[in-house]
Amino acid sequence: MRWELSPEQEMFRDSFREWLAAYAATPAIRQWLRDDDVAPFEARLAGDGWLGAGFGEELGGQGGGLLELALAAEQLGYSAAPAGSWLAAALAVPALSGEPDIAAGVLERGDVVALAVTAGRPPDEPGPLRWEHGGLQGTVPAVLGAGRAARLVVPAWADGGVTLFLVDAGQASVSRRGRKLLDRTRSAADVTFARTPGRRLDVDGAGILAAAALRAAVLVAADSLGAAGKMLELAVDYSKQRTQFGVPIGSFQAVKHAAATMLVSVEASRSIAYFAAASAGQGREGAGLHAATAKAQVTQAARQGADAALTMHGAIGYTWEHDLQLFYKRAKLNAELYGSPEVWNERLASALPLIPAG
Amino acid sequence: MDFELTEDQAIIRKAVAELAARFDDQYWLEKDSAHEFPAEFYRAFAEAGWLGITTPEEYGGHGLGITEASIVIEEVAASGGGMNAASAVHLSIFGLHPVIVHGSEDLKRRNLPRIVTGDLHACFGVTEPEAGLDTTKITTFARRDGDHYVVNGRKVWISKAQESEKILLLTRTTKFDEVAKKTDGLTLFFTELDRDRVNIRPIKKMGRNAVSSNELFIDDLRIPVADRVGEEGEGFRYILDGLNPERMLVAAEALGLGRVALRRAVAYANEREVFGRPIGMNQGLQFPLADSLARLDAAELVLRKATWLVDRGQPCAREANTAKYLCAEAGFQAADRALQTHGGMGYAEEYHVARYFREARLLRIAPISQEMVLNYLGSHVLGLPRSY
Repeated sequence: MRWELSPEQEMFRDSFREWLAAYAATPAIRQWLRDDDVAPFEARLAGDGWLGAGFGEELGGQGGGLLELALAAEQLGYSAAPAGSWLAAALAVPALSGEPDIAAGVLERGDVVALAVTAGRPPDEPGPLRWEHGGLQGTVPAVLGAGRAARLVVPAWADGGVTLFLVDAGQASVSRRGRKLLDRTRSAADVTFARTPGRRLDVDGAGILAAAALRAAVLVAADSLGAAGKMLELAVDYSKQRTQFGVPIGSFQAVKHAAATMLVSVEASRSIAYFAAASAGQGREGAGLHAATAKAQVTQAARQGADAALTMHGAIGYTWEHDLQLFYKRAKLNAELYGSPEVWNERLASALPLIPAG
Repeated sequence: MDFELTEDQAIIRKAVAELAARFDDQYWLEKDSAHEFPAEFYRAFAEAGWLGITTPEEYGGHGLGITEASIVIEEVAASGGGMNAASAVHLSIFGLHPVIVHGSEDLKRRNLPRIVTGDLHACFGVTEPEAGLDTTKITTFARRDGDHYVVNGRKVWISKAQESEKILLLTRTTKFDEVAKKTDGLTLFFTELDRDRVNIRPIKKMGRNAVSSNELFIDDLRIPVADRVGEEGEGFRYILDGLNPERMLVAAEALGLGRVALRRAVAYANEREVFGRPIGMNQGLQFPLADSLARLDAAELVLRKATWLVDRGQPCAREANTAKYLCAEAGFQAADRALQTHGGMGYAEEYHVARYFREARLLRIAPISQEMVLNYLGSHVLGLPRSY
């Protein structure tokens, strides 16, 4: 088997990486986070046309699919870019296949739209909202990107099934309470609906959510892959600069071996994440397992890589000034985002011919 | 708190180490390769009086505690004799505890002095193919027939049965589904292993090959009532008494094995040169060995606490289980790392660490698996629901 990125995919990845290096270097990211305003980044991301990659032209996208989105997610993780709205859109837009104007607004102009599911669990797990008396009722805790969203795609129980509603997030019956996350490059909000009107989307709600779960698994894994790769670079660079006992600490075998172990982990993660992206993007048989493997393995490996990178940096890695903290927190949040490795491992276990736990 | 050995304990440690040192690695390598019982070692050990370390003085022993016994067996293993040496003498050192505590005077007089002199080899017959660690499910049945019992059934993993004249045999005298409590209806015997009635087949296995592990097929074995240990139906409780000390002794064996593996690894790491310097200069080798030292030392402390408790008659199940768990892990890890330190030579028999590795692996399975230890700690110590 020979499997590699196409020249177009490689070009897309490299140019996005360069763009992020130019416009979303860590001093800029720190400034946005200090200002508590990531709008400048989001506006430029949309304005320079990056949001359309990974979506079909019928939605106002520029073509490509989940693999292109995963390549983008990897670069966003690699640069610690404030990508909460980007990820929220990546999960919500497939629900807008019957709403091309709104979809185009998201992909072309950067209107923020979020899928109103809680960020701590897989998006296809049953949510708390009900549609009754012509309105949405209930609270969804910790919705990624909801604080900045103009519109929400809201799953709710209606007529004995899951239906998706399109809701204007600015209306009075929607209240949002922001939540600060330890990883400040993403944010979430609790969203409460009080007899909120919404437009029924003519799509298969359960199907969209099932697909969103796989997209979330793949894209968060890809983000972790990028963050892990960056932490490896930072750790290796530091180990060459920092001297102790008269030699660079990178000459100590224990440090070298830690770095080599991280490299092995990053390479394995890349294979897992890309394959899962291709498989889920093409709706292959076993895509659910591939995506679950990616979420469980890659985010867990990145979490361990973060700890190893911190150990290699010593105390400097523990400081606010050093960039490692951005990626460290990113990897820690990614492990929990849209379901922990344990939750996704359960999905793998339930797909294996094992005796169910008693 | 006092971490010092008593003067007697220190003397015991030194004396056993000196005796065991007379049997070098080559001796154990040959015994292991030939699958041959280490009779010379056993004889020397018996002549020095060590087999009777826990046997009461009136039956010819020293009447010492589990602390002393654990020191003895640790030194035996740490000499490089490993599990081959330890298993050759293990049962004699402590295995007859149920007979000592619950046996009739006649049974003790007939057997204990012969155990102490080494004249009488014995084995421990509890586990069965269908019961595993679920001991109350054993089905080997002893039917009363006048002043005898007639026994039929199967036993498995019976160490040293090949070499043994007698067996401490656990049977059912009432069937599992006919007893009020599942621990009732089990009866213990210490009796002749009559070759006409018991077919003994050695199991081919991974290591510890100088001492056999066997399957026993028991067909109408006749046991005189006089060979019964204590009361009929109480056997399970008699066995239970010895389980914690048993775990401590096995922990001591694992610890000794870890010590000798580490010693060999350090010697090799200092002497072997690659890229123009001793390989012990590589952090990739030095750190794991240092880590193993720390783990062995920590495991040893729990073991010492456990034996201290049992010798004072205090509850010790938590410590006994923890000691077995930690010593088995630390011992195996040390053996694994010793093998890694030796590189390709570690895989060769002549460097001995391959033998330690195979033997150390056994202690994560026997006498109970590490997982069953965790079950005990989880449910009995932490109060979590029973998970099995």
